Amino acid sequence: MYQALLTRRYLFSKVMPLLAAVAVLLCTAMVLIIWSVMGGFLNMLVSTGRTMTGDVVVQWPFVGFAHYEDLIARLEKDPLVAAAAPAIETLGTVSLPDGRNSHVLVRGVNGERYAQVTKYADILWWRPLEQAMEKDARGDDPRLGGLDNSDWGAMYDHGLSLMRPDPKTGELKPAAVPGIEVTGFNAREPEGYYTPRVVNRRTPEGKLELIDVFMPRDGSIVINLPTLDSKGRLVDTVSKIFPVANEFQSGVFEMDDKVVLVHLGALQDMLRMNKARRILEPGETAQEPIETDADGQRLVQDPARVTHVLVKGNGPMATAREAEVLKARVQSIYAGFAADHPGTVPDEYAIRILTWRDQNAMMIGAVEKETALVLFLFMMVSMVAVMLVLAIFWSMVAEKTKDIGVLRAIGAGKLGVAWLWVRYGLVIGVVGVVAGASIAYLVVHNINPIHDWMGRAMGIVIWDPRIYYFVRIPNQVETPKAITVMIVFVISCAVGAMVPAGRAANMSPVRALRFE
Amino acid sequence: MAQVAGQRVRSSVAGLAAGTPDAPAPGLQPLVRVADLHKTYRLGRVSVPVLHGVSLHVRQGEFVAVLGASGSGKSTLLHLIGGLDKPDREPRGVIDFDGRTLSEMSGRELDAYRSADVGFVFQFYHLLPELSVIDNVLIAAMVRYGRFGYMARARALRPEAEKLLASVGLDHRLRHRPAELSGGERQRVAIARALMNGPRLLLADEPTGNLDHETGGKILDMLLRIRQERKQTMVVVTHDQTTAAKADRVVRLLDGRIVAG
Repeated sequence: MYQALLTRRYLFSKVMPLLAAVAVLLCTAMVLIIWSVMGGFLNMLVSTGRTMTGDVVVQWPFVGFAHYEDLIARLEKDPLVAAAAPAIETLGTVSLPDGRNSHVLVRGVNGERYAQVTKYADILWWRPLEQAMEKDARGDDPRLGGLDNSDWGAMYDHGLSLMRPDPKTGELKPAAVPGIEVTGFNAREPEGYYTPRVVNRRTPEGKLELIDVFMPRDGSIVINLPTLDSKGRLVDTVSKIFPVANEFQSGVFEMDDKVVLVHLGALQDMLRMNKARRILEPGETAQEPIETDADGQRLVQDPARVTHVLVKGNGPMATAREAEVLKARVQSIYAGFAADHPGTVPDEYAIRILTWRDQNAMMIGAVEKETALVLFLFMMVSMVAVMLVLAIFWSMVAEKTKDIGVLRAIGAGKLGVAWLWVRYGLVIGVVGVVAGASIAYLVVHNINPIHDWMGRAMGIVIWDPRIYYFVRIPNQVETPKAITVMIVFVISCAVGAMVPAGRAANMSPVRALRFE
Repeated sequence: MAQVAGQRVRSSVAGLAAGTPDAPAPGLQPLVRVADLHKTYRLGRVSVPVLHGVSLHVRQGEFVAVLGASGSGKSTLLHLIGGLDKPDREPRGVIDFDGRTLSEMSGRELDAYRSADVGFVFQFYHLLPELSVIDNVLIAAMVRYGRFGYMARARALRPEAEKLLASVGLDHRLRHRPAELSGGERQRVAIARALMNGPRLLLADEPTGNLDHETGGKILDMLLRIRQERKQTMVVVTHDQTTAAKADRVVRLLDGRIVAG
């Protein structure tokens, strides 16, 4: 009882315990902020990593494999699989209207089917917007109605189908949907939305001309690709002009800056992965019917190929274990598929089947290591808190020596005196930890506005999206982490108070009373 | 009065000389019995003997003054009787309180002894500066009864503390902090705290030593009144002849030994 009374009185009548509480507050807030941001970074990485790839990917890079529709049909029959979609991935360059060239990852997809296995429908940027974004208080986002003659609804549909009508003929043509950062023609405003840039280009005559750079309206890009035959040998390079139907923002800067989605059929044509006739080599056999032409050459209809089949599982598939279960099922289905197409598709041992975690393993591993490093630092900071409380309490015990003597004189036992100080440490820990967690919550929750303000007021940009990939800083405090940090720091305070408490308990009452 | 005190000292010394040191009157059981008490302090490698075979009896309801110069060992004797310190193991002296030997008590029993049976009044008051006057008195009960015991008795203990403070003339100062009180008032709070648990033995270490003559006199009168009203057994350590003169019996200490005055 007397411990509670003295703890209350000591807490609010002395500066030192408040300093100890402030030290604990700072340590708690620091660890929580860093851990939350790092943990949020990892979570964002993991979740956005799935945004454009689905849960499991079957891939045979560059060359691709045939009969993919059969594989997709087999996959979609399985109750674990929600949907599957074909895709092609290849490296290439993109030539932009201002003459710049940039290397990109070109991904050929069927828009509607791609949207069934990924969040493609959600990441198309140019679309009708009914409500302004969180930070856009003035409603300046062009999607709210700006940009003359822009039909956002049509633009969204064009993006989804990867087809855009020719401005002159109205004929629908296969189109491209680059990441929002690919062209460099979109200026990201501090409020988070994009506005098309006005760009000048010097003509051969030396004059400056204004280029219309709002790509989804009537802009085009040229995609240049190396083509390979079915054996993986380089054939030649091809170029094709693609009208831009829309742009996407996945939230992963690396994708937004380096990925261009194009119409699957058009890409198959460019890469000669489409359905086409091929002359059989002498002695070669084929599953498909063989024809003979006028010259006596044996011809076969080569089926179309894709490099990837993207698979979306039924359920959230948020954990690595769920993804592994789906991967095992896909492997099993692929084995049956390969057995039915001998010699024309990679066998089950050669094919690469990866979960979204496998695909981002390097990145996830690196961030997990960084998170582990943060936890190590957390331990070190806890030790600092222990030492701080120890030092402050040591000094306070010295200052309160006479009080200890008095308490012993009126009958307080050693354990009672020790508990007074340990309890005091716990109270300081609780006060510091609650205040620190509150501050951490406020900071983390508002970290994006704070960061934006720092950028405007001081020119400090700590979270550069070009370095950290993400355009927004993770701003969620996870409750289990917060509770862990709080408990550890309260215990640290109690541990820090134990040594001075032991000293107080073992103090000779007579010496304590005579202490000057 | 000094002459009377001197006579009393001489009577104690006579008892010592007869080999029955400070013997109680026949038929009266002593509350405190101290026999052949030795105490040596160690300061690094140096041993400083403070008490050399002190023997003493304090009867129920008796007011004993321990008189001696500074450094004579009187405060040490008080601390040993109050269970705040332990005597030397060799030679093994004895302190009995109501038939119980302090050296045989466990640490917990000694805590209970200090809490329930003994009340201390110190020269420098030793109040807890962060607590109000009422809390400084109540803390003795909090220590004695523990959290639940105190909460169960809180309704009775608080009026008891207020009554005690009223009896020492501080009922208008309940919410004040020690820093807001005069020396005499602080000592009165300390006396109230010492009496809070109804101790059978009150040990006062120079209770007037830090006060001016007039205030000291008032405190002494207060102690005498308390003794009268409660039949309180008191051992008061002092070097003040006036205080000693008001005691039932005076024991003079010189260099750690009880001697003639």
